Amino acid sequence: MNAIILSVIIGVVMMFCSVFVPNKNSYRHIASIGLVLLLAGNIAEMHGFSLFHINTKGMLSYDNFGLFFNTIAIASTLIYVLLSGRDIQKIGTYVAEYFVLIFFVLCGIAILSSYNNLLMLFLGIEILSIPLYILTGSDKRNMMSNEAALKYLLMGSFSTGLMLMGIALIYGATGSFNIEVIHAASPQQGANGMSELSVSFLEIMGMLLLMVSIGFKVSAAPFHFWTPDVYDGAPAVITSFMATIVKVAGFIAFIKLFDARMLGTSVETNKLIGVDWKLLFAIIIICTLLVGNVTAVFQQSVKRMLAYSSIAQAGFMLFALFSMNDVAKEGILVYSVAYSLATIGIFAILVKMKDFTFEGYNGLGKTQPVLAFTNTIFLLSLAGIPLTAGFFAKFFMLESAIKTGTYLWLVIAAVVFAAISVYYYFRVIQAMYFKAGDAAVVEAPTMSFKIGLLLLAAIIIYFGIFPQALLSWFYF
Amino acid sequence: MSITEILFWFLSVLTLVSAIMVLISKNPVHSVLWLIATFFAISGHYILLNAQFLAIVNLIVYAGAIMVLFLFVIMLMNLDVAIEPKRSMWMKFAGVISGGLLLAVLLSVVRTSVDLTNKTAQLNTGDIGLIKNLGHTLFTQYAVPFEVSSILFLSAMVGAVVIGKKN
Repeated sequence: MNAIILSVIIGVVMMFCSVFVPNKNSYRHIASIGLVLLLAGNIAEMHGFSLFHINTKGMLSYDNFGLFFNTIAIASTLIYVLLSGRDIQKIGTYVAEYFVLIFFVLCGIAILSSYNNLLMLFLGIEILSIPLYILTGSDKRNMMSNEAALKYLLMGSFSTGLMLMGIALIYGATGSFNIEVIHAASPQQGANGMSELSVSFLEIMGMLLLMVSIGFKVSAAPFHFWTPDVYDGAPAVITSFMATIVKVAGFIAFIKLFDARMLGTSVETNKLIGVDWKLLFAIIIICTLLVGNVTAVFQQSVKRMLAYSSIAQAGFMLFALFSMNDVAKEGILVYSVAYSLATIGIFAILVKMKDFTFEGYNGLGKTQPVLAFTNTIFLLSLAGIPLTAGFFAKFFMLESAIKTGTYLWLVIAAVVFAAISVYYYFRVIQAMYFKAGDAAVVEAPTMSFKIGLLLLAAIIIYFGIFPQALLSWFYF
Repeated sequence: MSITEILFWFLSVLTLVSAIMVLISKNPVHSVLWLIATFFAISGHYILLNAQFLAIVNLIVYAGAIMVLFLFVIMLMNLDVAIEPKRSMWMKFAGVISGGLLLAVLLSVVRTSVDLTNKTAQLNTGDIGLIKNLGHTLFTQYAVPFEVSSILFLSAMVGAVVIGKKN
């Protein structure tokens, strides 16, 4: 509750700041202070200290998993604002409002990590999405940005429609919006001999539609078609936020939903009905990995390559849904940290570049050694090279899939795709160090920016050597 | 056949026909007008289910506000047949296949569900749709989602200002 209410309050305070504080440079400092407060509030709640006691009638429930994820999301946003705050300022005129919208997105994330009711899921997804539509189109003079915003809005509304349809079907089947449904202990004798069913087809259909719509939000193939255009069209700073914190929040919503409905989507129930959720997720994972990795190989722009790489990374995160065990839950937390931090770093550097193509990075190692060095570490982490956090993230995901004992071919395929991903990540490193050129940056990076990047790289290496450090906070 | 049943079938046919007309009319303005007819028919269904509040809100919000907005946008955009993009045959084919599959699945879902009889809303019974009961539920059981939706509207408003205001 702390995170939900505090983020809105801080958002509203930021709105007033835009009226009463004339100095635009101070907005990002105010936002940073707000994020620190929010982080403190959320950590306090993790230790059982809640500022607000509201009877939510079972709409929201707070468990360690959700609260810990909140901490990760808020901390990542803090790092994001500290690193890229200056660039958020450059998007357009309404600087304070951009920060307000980011705080509202955080509120949506806090709802998604604690919802216990499909209504709250819907509200959370919408509170998450609507500010993003705006932020995507915030660079109003740029046609690409406008087109991306409109495309995102239209396709996003369509997927929201599917979600509502799914929720309606589930409500029709169970008579409740609760995500944890207690199925009738004694199944009724049906007219057409399907007495053994405790899950009705209506509910399965509803879950399928929900899967499609959340799959859209996390850009899992074949619902990924909006991703490259929107990520490419949006201002690069905003893409950084969308591709990391928001996407991971979508996965948390996904996992909460399917975790609560474990019984309805388990293998045993599937035998009776004939919908194999494991196979379904396996197909989605393969599609996502294939589309993301293979298309990323052919990109000429680093920004667009990162859009496809984010699809590919989503494929790995989907393993948590596929296996749905304790390792998967730990894994998604490690993955969200590793993926978010590395991508935030890469985008923070990308924003500074004059030319977003691979050629634009030529010779960055000579002109900006600190940027090139940290960028290398972030890219290595995304590729999953040992000694970076990305390695353990992928390791946990694959381990959780192996523990299920089925679909070993899926794990092998994922390893092959991870190897393919090394190619396009290393292309950037190759351009930076082994190709002649003078990579131009828009403005000389400040000392504090460089120190921030180095600290971020240090964090990634630290978690790459001691992944248990992260999880020990989870189990404190 | 009682009067409610006759009304139900009449409204159902009206809904389906006007919904199909939305899709197949060439002129976008006609499409919008058919959509308004669809909303009226659906509101009729709500009244049959004794949900007057929902019926009125559906009319005011959808048939009133949103459709007027639609009409304005369509008229401002000045859509012509000439500038309508050509869709390839394959796209149409894929659309028909996927839409048809979804229809088949949904139909079979409804047909095979065994436990619908006691759970579907019965015509002419139930009073949850009356304003008094609705308000009571909204402000007790569903107070949290109700309040949280205000955040949604606030963010949409901030967004509208950011997008709409001149630099």
